[in-house]
Order: sequence, then C-alpha cells, then structure tokens
Amino acid sequence: MKKNNSMKICLAQTNPKVGDLKKNIENHVEIISGAKVQGAELVVFPELSLTGYFLKDSVYDLGINIHTGESAVLKPIYKTSEDLNISVIAGFVEKDEDFNFYNSSFCISKGKLINVHRKVYLPTYGMFEELRYFKPGDGFGVFDMDGVKVSVLTCEDAWHLSSSYIAVNKGAHIIIVNSASPARGIAAGLNKFNSMNMWEELLSVIAFYYKSYVIYVNRVGFEDGIGFSGGSCIFNPLGEMEKKLDYLEEGVVSADINLDLLNNERFKTPLIRDENLNLTLKEIESIVNNETIK
Amino acid sequence: MKKELPKIDEYNFPLIYKHLSNFIKIEVSKARVNSVVLGLSGGIDSAVACYLASNALGKENVTALIMPYESSSAASMDDALIVVKTLGISHYVIDITKQINEYFAKEGNSGDAEGIRIRKGNKMARERMSILYDYSYKLNSLVLGTSNKSELLLGYGTLYGDMASALNPIGDIYKTQIYQLAGHLDIPKNIIAKPPSADLWAGQSDEKELGFSYETADGIMYLLIDKMYKPEVAVSLGYDEKLVDKIYGKIKKSQYKRRMPLIAKVSERTINIDFRYLRDWA
Repeated sequence: MKKNNSMKICLAQTNPKVGDLKKNIENHVEIISGAKVQGAELVVFPELSLTGYFLKDSVYDLGINIHTGESAVLKPIYKTSEDLNISVIAGFVEKDEDFNFYNSSFCISKGKLINVHRKVYLPTYGMFEELRYFKPGDGFGVFDMDGVKVSVLTCEDAWHLSSSYIAVNKGAHIIIVNSASPARGIAAGLNKFNSMNMWEELLSVIAFYYKSYVIYVNRVGFEDGIGFSGGSCIFNPLGEMEKKLDYLEEGVVSADINLDLLNNERFKTPLIRDENLNLTLKEIESIVNNETIK
Repeated sequence: MKKELPKIDEYNFPLIYKHLSNFIKIEVSKARVNSVVLGLSGGIDSAVACYLASNALGKENVTALIMPYESSSAASMDDALIVVKTLGISHYVIDITKQINEYFAKEGNSGDAEGIRIRKGNKMARERMSILYDYSYKLNSLVLGTSNKSELLLGYGTLYGDMASALNPIGDIYKTQIYQLAGHLDIPKNIIAKPPSADLWAGQSDEKELGFSYETADGIMYLLIDKMYKPEVAVSLGYDEKLVDKIYGKIKKSQYKRRMPLIAKVSERTINIDFRYLRDWA
C-alpha cells in the first residue's frame, strides 16, 4: 500500500492532433515525464487521446490490436512507464482479432498492460456518430493499482448512472472519467457553457452518493469547428471539487487522492455498504422480463 | 423549461470570447497560415468578426477589404474605417462599381426592376467574394466568414457570395446575440446602434425586407432549431402562427444554401456521402 494511504494523480488536459498517432505519443511521453517530476504515480489522458475524436473513416487507419505486434507503436509509452515506474491511462482506437473497433482506454502500469476499458455507451445522436464505427464494450471493470481500486468510464458511460453504480459496487475507490466533451450551449448568468455545468453537477453527484473519488479528464482543441471544453477536475467523496484545470486551455494538474478520507466518508455515510444488490437484481430482472407495473 | 434565447452577458462573455478566439487561432494554424482576410462592410457582423480575429491572431495578421459600390452609403465606409483605425489593422479599399456596371450594361436592364435589383445584389456579393479569394491567395490568408446564424438559417445571403468563407466564427450566433457580443467587445456605439442592412442598395433594411424583426425571428428560431420544438409548440408558447410558419418555410427553402452541391452517386465511395473525413484530416 501507498505511503500515507494516498496516491498522486496527474490530470493531463491535452489537445490531440487528429489522426497523428506518432505526434500524440511523443506528447504523451513528454507529459508523463513531466508528471513524474511532480511526483505523480498515475497520469490520466482524455478519451481517444492518442488519435483525436471525430475520426470518421480514419478509425480504419488508426485501429491497434494491443495484444499483437501492432502495439509496437505504443512502445515509447510502455518504456516511459517502465523506466519511470508510473501508470498511464490513455485513449486509443482498439482493434480486436475479429477486426472490430472499440473506443478504448488502456492502463499501462510500470511497463505492463493491466487494463483495457472499451467504452460501453457510444453516443450516436446529435453531433455524435460513434456506433457507426465502434463496437460497444461489454462491462465496467475494476482493477487494482498499488492497492487502489480503479474503474474507467469513458465520457457517455458516466452519463448512465448505472455504470458508476456497477463500478463502486464492484469495489472501485476511484472512478476515472476520460472524455472528449464538446463545449456547447450558451447559458445566461453562468460563467461556463451549459455542457460544462452538466458535467460538474454529474461528477459531484457520483462522487458524493457513490462515496468515491471522481477524476474527470477532458480534452481541449478544435476539430472541424467543434471545440472541446477542458475543465478537467477532481471530486472528493464529499462531492467537493478539489482541483480543476481551466476551461478551453491545455494544462496539467496533480492531485492527491486520500484513502483515509474515503474510509472516513464511507464509515460516516455507508451508502455503499447498505446498498441492496439483491433487491436491485430482483427489480432489474423483472424489468428485463417485462414484468413492470402490476 | 427555458424558452428564451440565452443572452451573451458579462458572466458567459469571457469564455465565449476565448472559445471563438481559440477557434480562429487553431483552425487558421491547421491550414498552415497565420492570417485572415475579411470583407468589412461597416456593419455589426463583420465588425464583430474583425475584432475577434484581431484578438485571436494579432492585428498584423488581419486584413480588411472595404469594397463599396456606388450606391453604398458613405456612413458604412466611415464605420468600416473606424474599425480599421481602432484595431490598427491593414486594409484596402477596392471599389467594385466599374465591373458591376460594366457587366450590367452589357446585360441590359431588361426584366423587372425587382429582378435586376436582386441580380445586382447577388453579383456584388459574388464580386466581393471573388476579390476576397484573390486576396486570400495574394496574402496567403484564409477568408474569414461574417454571416450570423440568423441570416444563415433564413437564407438571407448570397450563395457563393457573402456566405462563402474558409471559416466563420459567428455562424452559430444569432443576430440578437451578435449585438450583445458587440457590446462586450467595445465595438463603436454607432455601429451597434444603426439598423441592420446589407447595404446593397440605398436605404435597404434587413428587417423591412424580411418583414419581421431579428429579435422576434431569433426567439422563434431558437425554439425551432436549438430546442428542436415543432412549429406548433412554438405557437403554443405564444408566437404568432403565421410568422412561425413563414420563418420555418424560409429555413427549409434555403437548406440548399447551407450544403455542398449534390453529387450523383455512381461509385462505391462518393465524396461526402460515404467518403467521410474531417476537413482537419490532413
């Protein structure tokens, strides 16, 4: 377990160059090295941080099967992670052995691949068209990182409250939400776009009611006129924002998550302990079996 | 349920300003150039676009073209020059009277007066576009668009004329909001105060020509487009049915102006149909 029961996490709010894996990998390596100097043990990058977001047909050119020789392109990240004894979560286009493509995020820790999250909820409405290109993932995994249990939700995943429900009940202490969220919606009387406000309210709710740390890492930059909002931030289990990066600008910030505080909050307000999974299971079964209102 | 067009106010202005500046900066740099050229009419839209560009790229990277026709109002020219002077940007005055008149002298003035007036207006808009694109090459700059969301939706613009540009920072901002934005940008009061006009002929007025005020139209379009309410819902919220129908009709009728030309599909992969990449692809 960690010293002081804490872990230093670096939030890397980047502006990926669309379609340019090589350049983005170089940028990742540079940021990881800088984060290490600041004492970070984990660096989190946004959704599809190695490729850019609105990829359209170039999804086909960017897919990597991370379990084969194709992953050689990621070598600089593996090497940096190993050399610096650090963990990295970053987004990429994953290709499986059957040639399906996924909007995925890997976690490479100390030079080893320890987790891949395939985005489950692929927005395909309004300006989004993810299901046109990607296959949905099939679950929300929790993995151990030096004694801290982590779950990754990618953007829209987090908008489905069932995903964070699953993650915490599977044991997650921290929920990482990596995203590529476009800034949208002018709001009178508010110093941010509507979309930013929605995110911050949601993340605070997840952190408070699921008694977890929530780490939100969003990208910036423009793709064909659509600007991403940034505002990456960290919420503690009291639902309070602890650190935040500026909207619309690249940047990095490090924050400590403290398991003693999580312990304290979960003891005082044991919402997770008291969760009745059997009841939920029974109710969901009845919904799935179409036995709704009697 | 929010029913009113949201205001650009002192709270959200700083972020919107930053967002639009970033848009210009980033999208211009992706084209591997540093600068923009735009047509400056003396009106509020091009003034706003000009202020945004000057902030984003630096005054040395913005060039304004002032392109009057003989019937253009002298006040427009004065207002355009005030913008140029205030921002300290370089500018050229290129009078388009000669080429327009020469063309129409050969065409003759046959046909109805209204038809000729519209053809002349379109021709002027396209002449200005043609000059802007020539300067785009000459100055190695992108053409900055100055059409707002209201006129783009209503189709109140000339296809391949004033609607043509490489990038447009204000195309998702309604005219009513352009005024609010202009207020926060410290654009000269005179430019904000005068009634909106395309200034294609003496005394032209947008609102007289359209038959409704931007304020009312924007309120309706916000419901129809941004909120995706059906026209009958807009009516149930208190808007005049005839006006809602008229505006919805204008939006539909001008859809062609907002799209690329149709291409007859014959191959297995057709440009913009199933050959799909961002413009930022390169």
